[in-house]
Amino acid sequence: MAPVIDIKNITKEFKVLNRREGLAGSIKDLFSRDYKIVKAVDNVTMSIEQGEIVGYLGPNGAGKSTTIKMMTGVLEPTSGEILVNGRLPYKNRSKNAQNIGVVFGQRSQLWWALPLVESFKLLKDIYQISDEQYDGMMKLYQSLVDIEPLLHKPVRQMSLGQRTLSDILAAFLHDPKIVFLDEPTIGLDVSMKAKIRTLIQALNKEKNTTVILTTHDMGDVDALCRRIVIIDKGKMLYDNDISHLKGFFGSYRTLKIRVDGDLKKESEQIAKEFPVCKVSADDEWISILVDEAKITVMEVLTKLQKERRVRDMQLEEISTEDVIKKIYEEGVE
Amino acid sequence: MKRKGLLFYTRLYFKILAQDLKSKMSYRADFIISTIGMIFTNIAGFVSFWILFRNFSTINGWGYYEMLFLYGFSLVALTPVQCLFDNNWSLRQYVYTGDFIKYCFRPINLFFYYQSEVFDIKGLGQLAFGLGTLIYSWIKLGLGFTPLMLVKMVIFLLTASLVMVALQNAAAATCFWIQNSFYILDLVTKFKDYAKYPVTIFSKAFRFVFTFIMPIAFIAYYPSLIILRPDEVELLSWLSPLIAVVFFFISYKIWMFGAMKYNGTGS
Repeated sequence: MAPVIDIKNITKEFKVLNRREGLAGSIKDLFSRDYKIVKAVDNVTMSIEQGEIVGYLGPNGAGKSTTIKMMTGVLEPTSGEILVNGRLPYKNRSKNAQNIGVVFGQRSQLWWALPLVESFKLLKDIYQISDEQYDGMMKLYQSLVDIEPLLHKPVRQMSLGQRTLSDILAAFLHDPKIVFLDEPTIGLDVSMKAKIRTLIQALNKEKNTTVILTTHDMGDVDALCRRIVIIDKGKMLYDNDISHLKGFFGSYRTLKIRVDGDLKKESEQIAKEFPVCKVSADDEWISILVDEAKITVMEVLTKLQKERRVRDMQLEEISTEDVIKKIYEEGVE
Repeated sequence: MKRKGLLFYTRLYFKILAQDLKSKMSYRADFIISTIGMIFTNIAGFVSFWILFRNFSTINGWGYYEMLFLYGFSLVALTPVQCLFDNNWSLRQYVYTGDFIKYCFRPINLFFYYQSEVFDIKGLGQLAFGLGTLIYSWIKLGLGFTPLMLVKMVIFLLTASLVMVALQNAAAATCFWIQNSFYILDLVTKFKDYAKYPVTIFSKAFRFVFTFIMPIAFIAYYPSLIILRPDEVELLSWLSPLIAVVFFFISYKIWMFGAMKYNGTGS
């Protein structure tokens, strides 16, 4: 089957005026033709299959929004090829819109003054959704979330969480092939985040909708995405399974122990015993970063216990967050 | 997907309108206050008009009732722009903050979708005031009444409305290129106040500006000549419906061109 999104070597350049400082500078800028070309997206290639949930990650200003805008047809790429549902999104903006849903974290696309159910009815007309499909969708929604109290509430009276939930439901209403979610959990409390993740997952499973998710919350990524794409400064850094990502930096785990005596001294001693591990200490714990490719955590622990009494211990997996942070800071190599 | 024709858009518009009115009515205090505000605005307009004519019996050959007719005509003609295209006033803000992007993802005409979002109910009061004035002055002037006159009246009122809508569209669309486009929109709105005077009272330079550059003379003067002074009708009056349609089309194209090249802010 052909991929729903097929991107080959797309680049998007923006012309930016070189601004000067101060008032005199701004006056000069009025007449300046001193532009520089900024590549917001630089030679990105990816192809996404129907039904995937892809985490699209990158630090602020990495080019995520620009890529999404090109996929939704709002921006035309400077060069390269992009096909969404087999069409050029920029040339067929209206047709493309029929097959996609978009949610921007804090920008509701619903009618502000209307109760949710009225917004749904208008969307039904706009997307020409059949009664059958509409009723089916509403039934599905009712089975997934407690939608009843939301339906008759004007959107402007909703909490941010309710609004985001409503926006997501609205984006899936016309059963689009692809839904773009731009930071759907931003600013939400823990329980609402969990609710929204469950909803996205259920809708993806039920309708086999492709979901492109941009987020800064690694909780979203861990809960939803099997595949992630990382972009920085317009360039693609990583495109693979999330499990592969963790292996990427070796299989690190952090062993934390508490022992009798002075932790500083003990930690220095431990560092000498295990030269392959990185050891540090704070007021409560001695942290030992273990690369399991070289030595297992169990070996370390057994050896430690022979010499001293370990009063307490903790084992920390390296989190997606740590890995992503490392990639943002150091790149993949 | 079925083709989306005029019927589709008309039906959709009335659905959105009905919803919008329902939700507005539910905020009663809001509704009452804005109605009162609207009544006072219109009364103030009349008072200044009345004071003017206490001091001058005619302006450049235009009598009180003729001027009243022009005034009523312009009020009615300005109703559509007030009621249906009021969202143009918010366009600058949407574009500036990047919120405009939310209008870009629907499979319907962007201009329609944007404008349909707001219906300003205050305009209906203006319509009532305008119609009252128009009928009153019509009777006082003894213009008589034939069905043909009514047809002409409707056509030329539509013409006048279209001109104002076009002016406002074009002015609002400047925000796609200029950061501080409020002044342009404001300027156009201020100028429309001159629409209720016969263009002949202005100097030649202004007459040229009001006819060809910022064609507010088409909002009341040229069209109403057809009813008011049928033997003085200028060629421009007869051409005005055509001019209005062309002008509206151009302004729509400008608006859409700006909207399509819009690419939002980061998020």
